[in-house]
Amino acid sequence: MVSFIFRRLISGVVVLFVVSTLTFFLLYFSATSVARNILGDTATPEQVLLKEAELGLDQPLVSRYFDWLGSVLRGDFGVSWFSSQPVVESILGRLPTTLSIVLVTIVIAAVLATLFGVFAAVRRGWVDRTLQIVSIGASAVPQFVVAIILVTVFAIGLRWLPATGYVPLSDGFSGWSASITLPIVALAIGTVASTAQQVRSAVISVLSRDYVRTLRSRGLAPTEILFRHVLRGAAPAGLTVLSLQFIGMLGGVVVIEQIFALPGLGFLALQSTTQGDMPVLMGVVVYIVIIVVVVNLLVDLAVGWLNPKARVS
Amino acid sequence: MKFPSRVTAAAVVTVAALALTACSATTTPASSAGAGTTGGTLTLGSLVDVKSFDPAQAHIGHDVQYFQPVYDSLLRREADGTLVPMLATEWEYTEDNTVLTLSLRDDVTFTDDTVLDADAVKVNLDRFRTGNGPDASTLAQVSDVAAPDATTVVITLAEPDPALLDYLGNADGFIASPAAIDGGLIATDPVGSGPYTLDKAATVAASQYTFVKNPDYWDPSLQVYDTIVVKPIADTTAMVNALVSGQVNAALLTAKTQAQAAASGLTEYEYPTDWQGLLIFDRDGALVPELADVKVRQAINFAIDKETLLTQVGKGLGTVTSQPFGTNTAAFDDSLEDAYAFDPAQAKNLLTEAGVGEFSVTMPTVSGFMDPAMTAGIAQNLADVGITVNWENVAVADFRSSLIQGKYAMSWFSLFQGSPWVASNQIITPNATYNPFHTTDAEVDDLVTAIQSGSADEQKTAAASLNEYVVDEAWFAPFYRPSQIYFTDADTTTTPQVQQAVPSIYSYAPAT
Repeated sequence: MVSFIFRRLISGVVVLFVVSTLTFFLLYFSATSVARNILGDTATPEQVLLKEAELGLDQPLVSRYFDWLGSVLRGDFGVSWFSSQPVVESILGRLPTTLSIVLVTIVIAAVLATLFGVFAAVRRGWVDRTLQIVSIGASAVPQFVVAIILVTVFAIGLRWLPATGYVPLSDGFSGWSASITLPIVALAIGTVASTAQQVRSAVISVLSRDYVRTLRSRGLAPTEILFRHVLRGAAPAGLTVLSLQFIGMLGGVVVIEQIFALPGLGFLALQSTTQGDMPVLMGVVVYIVIIVVVVNLLVDLAVGWLNPKARVS
Repeated sequence: MKFPSRVTAAAVVTVAALALTACSATTTPASSAGAGTTGGTLTLGSLVDVKSFDPAQAHIGHDVQYFQPVYDSLLRREADGTLVPMLATEWEYTEDNTVLTLSLRDDVTFTDDTVLDADAVKVNLDRFRTGNGPDASTLAQVSDVAAPDATTVVITLAEPDPALLDYLGNADGFIASPAAIDGGLIATDPVGSGPYTLDKAATVAASQYTFVKNPDYWDPSLQVYDTIVVKPIADTTAMVNALVSGQVNAALLTAKTQAQAAASGLTEYEYPTDWQGLLIFDRDGALVPELADVKVRQAINFAIDKETLLTQVGKGLGTVTSQPFGTNTAAFDDSLEDAYAFDPAQAKNLLTEAGVGEFSVTMPTVSGFMDPAMTAGIAQNLADVGITVNWENVAVADFRSSLIQGKYAMSWFSLFQGSPWVASNQIITPNATYNPFHTTDAEVDDLVTAIQSGSADEQKTAAASLNEYVVDEAWFAPFYRPSQIYFTDADTTTTPQVQQAVPSIYSYAPAT
């Protein structure tokens, strides 16, 4: 197990290096007039040149890359070109918002998708058909449409929940939960729908296996077969889907963050990309890749724990 | 197969938890003080987030609502643009308008107990003009700032700057505690002498900035509310949702979100701050030789169906115009508003008179920034008179610099309408930001000199003449002045600020 974790960590570091390097050079080729944008329209060409030198933009690309890499290896991600705020401070300030939404959504999706998926797989018939139709419908509706409907009904109409903004958990559970409820529901509907489909298929597949038939013939209770054997066999498929959903959500949450005016990582990434704020964007990329690597590692470990054959492979 | 009771219970608990979460905290509405009283909280929605609280990085426009609570400015601009004392009680120019002397209040302390004096003002002005902030160039004419005594500041200019006093009543004039500046944390921990202080405990960066009343403030009449909260909300749909659902008391909306707010019974304010239209940069014909002929530029003006564009793009919220100068300036001339009414036949005649056949021009377009209806309308109108537009996609971050660097002969743009001197430096003088080909002539030079160095009356006359000249010569093709669409809720009232996107914080009050 230790060597498995070690190998995965090494491959994670390689992924991190490749992705961040590619991002750095791609950003160079889509370089914008960042010094002009920082200084505004009225800046003179001399001021622009001065700013470019201050930002190191007058240095060769390779030299800039190794400067950045060296600083990052020392734990220094630099400061935002636009706000002068340290990049790490900026990211850590946004991370709780995004993780609050994404993690809670994933937990809710895991619970509900398992319930619906298992229920449909076991009952089959009209229950299964209904679940499939609802799942397809829910997956087809774009998240931003769901979000706008939720805001219109629950924030503007009923005024039960805030339309915008984020309240940190440290300011109280009530405010925090209220501020993330609508974004989570908007994200969860499609996630639950698509994950439930996968869980359903996996459970049906396991239920048809020979060893399940054998267990039945030996007289084990149906609930014991389901919860001790079938779910264990179907869980890896569900976990894999959820991990992919999690990774997709880290990128896709930007739309939800915009609609609900949430100060999250997605919006920070969008803003820094639009502005050409390279230190911030590179910092966001590194943090997201680290999160993705860690999530994949945890999922691999969980799958290995659930299914011994996976450890061997 | 039946589900065990604990599974059913788990499902019920999950659903109940979701329901409880949804119901556990109802929306906390933005609270205003009662009608006609003071106190309470004013919550403002802002389309931009503050990048830094360092006054050297302050910017005009939306930014002022973040800076005004914590910093006093040297002068204060009232809603109609009139300058009144703030930290400076008196100010006087020498006869040649190159030396400005300011007299400061002697009873002001910053919230870190540092005393406001002339040295503090000098530190701030020197940082602003040398700090490479977004508005640093507005103090480009300042050659020296001196503090001969504790309450006197002398600003020496290389050349007269008719806009300097306005600048000192805006971003350039915000004064921070020099001790806090030395501390190095002014970007995140602002310390000024303003009517409010930033409550960091109640502030969430990029989500909500809370300012609480400064108990020792020298002018309590500017502290109408106990607390001011500014919420940055970049998305215009999110902004109107926040306003309609009662999360903010006031916010700037757009033409596309105006109808929803208006239908909700909120109070609407419409006022112009910008103009939109074509900047015809290449008036000497360096890139497109045809544009050197005034008749061609006039033809472009006649070819544009401004009314339709205003209706289609601006939802009819604005005023069609043919002049680049604003209504509240001495340059404005009502008779020039319809100098180029939509007349494609006249446009074709002018092109024929100029001996110009069909020609093409390349213009930049920015996805997500320029309304597709605008680009389609411009292209169609110009195609109808024989001018083909080739649109070139440009990244939003590169758009302005591509214009400033002279990559295009002409472009659609939306520009702020400041004073005649500000507008001249923006689009008319040889070194104006948006005069990339540095075109000028003797008449323009004389008029600009008169605006810069003449007496007050001479400045007004020259501004009006300059406006008439650039309209006649068709240096631009203005379409309309779009209205700023500002809304307040039933508990709040405000007065729009001349030449500013959003009202100053001093201009809000509980509705009576």
